[in-house]
Amino acid sequence: MPAKAVDYYTILGVLRDASLEEIKRAYFEAAQRLHPDKNKAPGETELFLDIQQAYETLSNPKRRAQYDATLPAQEPASALIQHHIYFSRGNLVRLAEPQLLYALIEVAPREKDTIPAPPLNVALVLDRSTSMQGGKMDMVKAAAIQLLRSLRPEDILSVVAFSDKAEVIIPAAFQRDRAKMESHIQMMQTGGATEIFHGLEAGLGEVRRSLDPSRVNHIILLTDGHTYGDEAACLDLAARAAAENIGVSGMGIGSDWNDIFLDALASRTGGNSAYIAQPKDIQRILTEKFKALANTFADEVSLSYTPQDGVKLNYAFRIQPEGGPVSLENPLKLGPILQDVPLNTLLEFIVEPSALKGDALTVLNGLMKVSIASRAQPIPPIRVPLTRAINTEAASEPPPTKILSALSRLTLYRLQEKARNEADAGRIDSATRHLKNLAAHLLSQGEQSLARTALLEADSLERTRAWGAERSKEIKYRTRALLLSGAKENQK
Amino acid sequence: MIVCPNCRHNNMNGAMFCSECGAHLMTTDNLVTQNIAPDQQDMEEDISIRPVTGVHRVAGSKLDTWGTLHLLETGQMLPLSDRNEFTLGRISDGQPIMPDIDLSPYHAYANGVSRLHAVVKRRDEQIILMDLGSSNGTYLNGKRIPPNMEQFLRHGDVAMLGKLKIQILLKPA
Repeated sequence: MPAKAVDYYTILGVLRDASLEEIKRAYFEAAQRLHPDKNKAPGETELFLDIQQAYETLSNPKRRAQYDATLPAQEPASALIQHHIYFSRGNLVRLAEPQLLYALIEVAPREKDTIPAPPLNVALVLDRSTSMQGGKMDMVKAAAIQLLRSLRPEDILSVVAFSDKAEVIIPAAFQRDRAKMESHIQMMQTGGATEIFHGLEAGLGEVRRSLDPSRVNHIILLTDGHTYGDEAACLDLAARAAAENIGVSGMGIGSDWNDIFLDALASRTGGNSAYIAQPKDIQRILTEKFKALANTFADEVSLSYTPQDGVKLNYAFRIQPEGGPVSLENPLKLGPILQDVPLNTLLEFIVEPSALKGDALTVLNGLMKVSIASRAQPIPPIRVPLTRAINTEAASEPPPTKILSALSRLTLYRLQEKARNEADAGRIDSATRHLKNLAAHLLSQGEQSLARTALLEADSLERTRAWGAERSKEIKYRTRALLLSGAKENQK
Repeated sequence: MIVCPNCRHNNMNGAMFCSECGAHLMTTDNLVTQNIAPDQQDMEEDISIRPVTGVHRVAGSKLDTWGTLHLLETGQMLPLSDRNEFTLGRISDGQPIMPDIDLSPYHAYANGVSRLHAVVKRRDEQIILMDLGSSNGTYLNGKRIPPNMEQFLRHGDVAMLGKLKIQILLKPA
């Protein structure tokens, strides 16, 4: 057997002690992704053959044992990634009632600047429905042209415009005739209704056209309206995109769009949603998004886990980069790691008394997979067992500052979330009370203007008994931004 | 079960912040992380929100001290420097965010000082005191001042937060 730099386990992305079942699953996933009928990028067929060979060896117990004997005894630690876990408390307490435990998972490159940022393959999916007419459309055009001009030669940008149908304005390809493409963008006309699915479908088609695991493959959706009747189809599509390692981000302009839906859509892929209050901000926010994409270290970190009896993963939120909710699926799509910004995700667990057996409890037995676009070979998955000892008394040491600070800010975000849920359920009194509590906290943190907004919203909620679309978005996305500023401060 | 000291909400064991009102449920010393770095907008509004340790700062340091709070009962001097606005109050358990100046070492609780009681600020050359809707009120030279109304201060004025007497000493302009 030829000595290879990368062992078969790494090729398949499984651990040394993986069961046959796990090996099979990993093989099928990889084979689907890299099958010669589908892959486009050079070198992928070779990767596919490697996978084939790895599977043939590892799926046969006898050959696997022989192969294992040739491997060095130690499973190598990940040379590229380091991770750290912070817990809200030193141990779990033996109690007859449910208890909460928080864990903050931080994942970062082990060394900075070792791996170059990968080239982009991005589809810009633009809403051109009637409501975009005027200033919004002009700003979108200007922003798209600006992006086109700022692309690096190796980047690929496609542009799709949609209303109740979609058309490809610029197909995914290396951009040569920029003047012509700019005029294509200039010629976009507004008109029609908003059907996001058509746009996403066309965008996905373009990204797939030059789909390449060594690039950051991403769809950016820009819309200003609610989509009609195709939400479920959109979410399905996002899940399919995620399976192919294509990220989706949503950006909403103005107040009349569905932030819950865009969050759900983006979080399927580990992406996020952003709020663009004014048309003049379109360019700035899009440029920031592109900068983040171009500065990617790992395009996706996912955490698969085996559920634990009596433990419920109750809430997951990405603190940075690009704060946003993490949808509670298995695997969890945690999000990207940037070259200079580690990925921080906060998990909340509810532990039932029935789970408190023995001396310790693993609340989550996770396996973290990190996909680094600019590296052809996958890196071995990382085991992430979240384990705490069980004692009769609570540990006295204070929680790490990092988790405390993240939680204090997440509390503000969740107050806002709660107020909204209460308002939607018709409990206006409770909703206004939450908003006022939020305002008090914001005020004492020096966030005067946001506190004012929260108070105004509480006031109008009391009078009109309806949740205001504009202010609520401002409160939501600005409390989210606070999380990010807190994380940055902590890093220093 | 942890009962929130602020709103009496029952929180699950292990909770760190009240899910109902956001109050901090654990006593820790290191809450300095609650401060937010000033961004551009805040700078424009001239609201400095850097962490403040006015209480610990040595009087007579080289910083731009524009006034001093003289606690009449205990005799302490708290310099006001480095920024233009200070909220006064007391830190207690279950309070997620604290006032800039914590008066609890000076019997704030016994004297009826609210958690966020009043604010002292400097605008241009004026020094201003404003009550923040405290429970027991703020008095200026013995007269109760209405909440959320700015009052100009002069050197030597005595403010009373609840029953806590503070003399304001200003640097001559």
